[in-house]
Amino acid sequence: MPDLHHTRNFCIIAHVDHGKTTLSDRILELTRTVEMRDMKEQLLDSMDLERERGITIKSHPVSMVYRARDGQDYAFNLIDTPGHVDFSYEVSRSLAACEGAMLLIDAAQGIEAQTVANAHLALEQGLEIIPVINKIDLPSADVPAIQQQLEDVLAIPAEEAVLTSAKNGLGIEDLLEAAVARVPQPRWAEVEGLRMLIFDCIYDTYKGVICYVRVFSGTVKANDSILTMSDGMKAQVKEVGKFSPAMTKQDSLQAGDVGYIVTNRRDVAEIKLGDTITLTNTPAKEMLPGYKEVSPMVFSGIYPIDTSDYNKLKAGMGKLRLNDAAFVYQSENSVALGFGFRCGFLGLLHMEIIQERIRREYDLDVISTYPSVVYFVTKTDGETIEVHNPVNLPDPAEIDHIEEPMINASIHLPSTSIGDVLALVSEKRGLCEHTETIDEKRVMLVCRLPLNEILVDFNDRLKSITHGYGSMDYEMAGYEQAKLCRLDIMVNGESVDAFSSIVHKDKAEGRGRALCKRLKEILPRQMFKIAIQASIGSQVIARETISAYRKDVTAKCYGGDISRKRKLLEKQKEGKKRMKNIGSVSIPQDAFIKILKTSDGGSS
Amino acid sequence: MTLNASTSALGLYCHVPFCASTCDFCAFYQEKPRRGDLLRYFEAMEREFALLPPDRVVDTVFWGGGTPGLLAAKDLERLGRMQLAALVQPPHEWTVEMAPSTVKPDKLAVLKDLGVTRISMGVQSFDAALLESLGRLHNPKQIYRAWEAIEQAGFAATNLDLIFAIPGQSLAQWQADIREAARLGPSHLSTYCLTFEEDTALYVKLAQGKVRIDEAREVAFYEAGWQLLDELGFTQYEISNFARPGMECVHNLNTWRMHEWIGCGPSAASQYAGERYQRPSNLDEWMRGMWTDAAPKQEQVVLNDRILLADSLVFGLRMNEGVDFAALRQRYPAAGELSQLEGLIGRLLEEQILTQAEGRLRLSPKGQLLADAVGTEILEVV
Repeated sequence: MPDLHHTRNFCIIAHVDHGKTTLSDRILELTRTVEMRDMKEQLLDSMDLERERGITIKSHPVSMVYRARDGQDYAFNLIDTPGHVDFSYEVSRSLAACEGAMLLIDAAQGIEAQTVANAHLALEQGLEIIPVINKIDLPSADVPAIQQQLEDVLAIPAEEAVLTSAKNGLGIEDLLEAAVARVPQPRWAEVEGLRMLIFDCIYDTYKGVICYVRVFSGTVKANDSILTMSDGMKAQVKEVGKFSPAMTKQDSLQAGDVGYIVTNRRDVAEIKLGDTITLTNTPAKEMLPGYKEVSPMVFSGIYPIDTSDYNKLKAGMGKLRLNDAAFVYQSENSVALGFGFRCGFLGLLHMEIIQERIRREYDLDVISTYPSVVYFVTKTDGETIEVHNPVNLPDPAEIDHIEEPMINASIHLPSTSIGDVLALVSEKRGLCEHTETIDEKRVMLVCRLPLNEILVDFNDRLKSITHGYGSMDYEMAGYEQAKLCRLDIMVNGESVDAFSSIVHKDKAEGRGRALCKRLKEILPRQMFKIAIQASIGSQVIARETISAYRKDVTAKCYGGDISRKRKLLEKQKEGKKRMKNIGSVSIPQDAFIKILKTSDGGSS
Repeated sequence: MTLNASTSALGLYCHVPFCASTCDFCAFYQEKPRRGDLLRYFEAMEREFALLPPDRVVDTVFWGGGTPGLLAAKDLERLGRMQLAALVQPPHEWTVEMAPSTVKPDKLAVLKDLGVTRISMGVQSFDAALLESLGRLHNPKQIYRAWEAIEQAGFAATNLDLIFAIPGQSLAQWQADIREAARLGPSHLSTYCLTFEEDTALYVKLAQGKVRIDEAREVAFYEAGWQLLDELGFTQYEISNFARPGMECVHNLNTWRMHEWIGCGPSAASQYAGERYQRPSNLDEWMRGMWTDAAPKQEQVVLNDRILLADSLVFGLRMNEGVDFAALRQRYPAAGELSQLEGLIGRLLEEQILTQAEGRLRLSPKGQLLADAVGTEILEVV
């Protein structure tokens, strides 16, 4: 029988950089889960990219044993959760696997946007929150101020906060004692039948799909026949085990346990996060709460810069997808960029991470097209279609109206930058719904914004306006009708698909003008005059002209010189091979990159 | 290949790879002369001449370099006699390039005697300062002395080479150079815009930012030159070549019309018997190669109708006579699918880079300034 009295499942939630991973490491050390000599800085963030960016992308559960001051041993399951809004569903599933959450706050920086968002997520999952004020060793630490913020912003009594310095190992034992005392014992253990939550999954070359699970009730062991309750799919359990912290095979997993199962499933896409697993023969009556289908919010085309890399890119995408069911892609063909993929992401960070991993792990040079959100387009014939590629937007005459996804953003910032941030929000077609004072220096704005407006440069500009002190978190907030249109860029009358974007009508002209101007700077002059136009439908809203160059001739051409001359011309021809021909105009590959990298596409 | 070898003109190019110094703009293969090298060069040239087709008439000869005129009179004579011995009959046109500092009456007498019909002298400029900036070894005084000797020797045709758009040169200086060249009364003038070819001292200066290419300035020099030359009675027949009526360089014309030519000497290129190739550039390598059974061929290209059609256009369009496209298609029936080329021609006509009259395509004056770009596009689609 499981010893529920001596089991505690909890996670650590925090804003980026507030010391989550360091705290996890200290806990592992104190429980002697890993010997000191085996400790690697940031043990849990095993992916290079995670270490570098200081963010957690995948969940990292670990089981450990803590001998408490009462002399008894407690089984701790710590789940390191992804900390970014893009992964809020994943976060919510990781949280759902726990009964308690350590809410980590930097003693110098105080409560940030993600602190609040994560605290709310934890409360929604019914978790007991243990506030932890970390980095108290910093000279700039201001514990009383943070305690005040806790009370004011999160309504958490100040005296509940545990004070730590994970870096120096201060207060860690107090924190673990608080976990013993305050994290409730595993819930819903009394429900009949096996109920096991899938909160993450990875792909292993040898074992196949490995699901990270939390068992709520019942027992699961190898050879059990199991059922995923959302879709009724059956599978055979091949192995069960725990994280200590490496995966360690066990005979069985029981109520309250956090561990992994390996089944005969081979495709990550078949596994749905948040699903409930039960036994085929004695199924549970009800699924665990909170399951939902996740769908990509942001789309972008990814193309190899060297077209011969297409197959390599395809293979890389396939491998990434193995480990990331939230990432979707399908092949796509662009006139300008050739063969590539249309990719769907949970959000901006997710997009950046995937792009970066393709570059890094598969050593591929790729170019990404301007990101797009998913629009609902209702046509005049009453049909509603989803559009996430500007190219697929119907003719303006066929469109009755377009709806775009909205977000509720909470922006934390120093009160001195409030004017500039409000201006930014309004430039991005946002509305500030209310303002909340965090303390005398910081405020929080709650705004409603179109998602597509924050896709490219919002965060960078927020950081720059607030000198790095601003932070933002957001949640999806439904769809709203908006005056949107497709902005096309034409080069000598031919539309360049990779430059098309869906924009708000009021912004089309400015963006069109900026794009034309930028293209004029980037495109090399050619033998012919080049007209660059921005248009909405058939209406041209901006125009630039690149004059033809006037001289490209070598004078000397003697008899015996023909081979030499031909070689010179062949060389010029090779140079042009790296260009894409749009109608009569040769556009160098790097022009696409430069334009697409023009952070805001020139809307400012 | 439908090129009818027996009726097509054949040219002979002889490369004399020796120079007294290297001009800053020159990328041609050349070495400083040593007596031993010269003797071995002659021996190897004799081998090359012996390889000339025994049954083909050579219509034109061109001696270029290097500086052929650098050879002493007796050496010129030796090379010339060896060559004549290998030819079925003396050529109709025989050009020898000379630098002003190398022109001497005794050499000219030898050349005249050999049957040389045309002397081409690399004047470059009449301005002492500009000559110096080009790294040339001669001064204006030497030009006049050399010209006097050439006139006295009485060759049927004469050419002067001029260079323009030299860093520091004004438009007025350029026009003065043209006037001065015309005043001397040659039958032909070649004008070359200063180019910055890799492996030249000038290119190095360009790369170091010591000189700059100014497109608008070069265009102005071209246009001013063309206008003035026309006024002075020199008719343009190729982008850089101007002649009194009937005094065009036939050797070059034949080359540009994709006839055949055989090159002798190090680095000399040939287009002959369905292929294009080059001799080794290095003097030693070339000489060694000439003593083996197979004369060394480098960068060998087997010609076909498609290549020849493309090159006929690329080089034909550089001439003012232009090309008869329909005739070219007949001449190269196996050139294959040309719809892309036709599309390009259509576009170039529309942009008035090409003109069309009496069945011939020609570059417009604007197009002449874009000849390389046009050539590149032709090679892209053919």
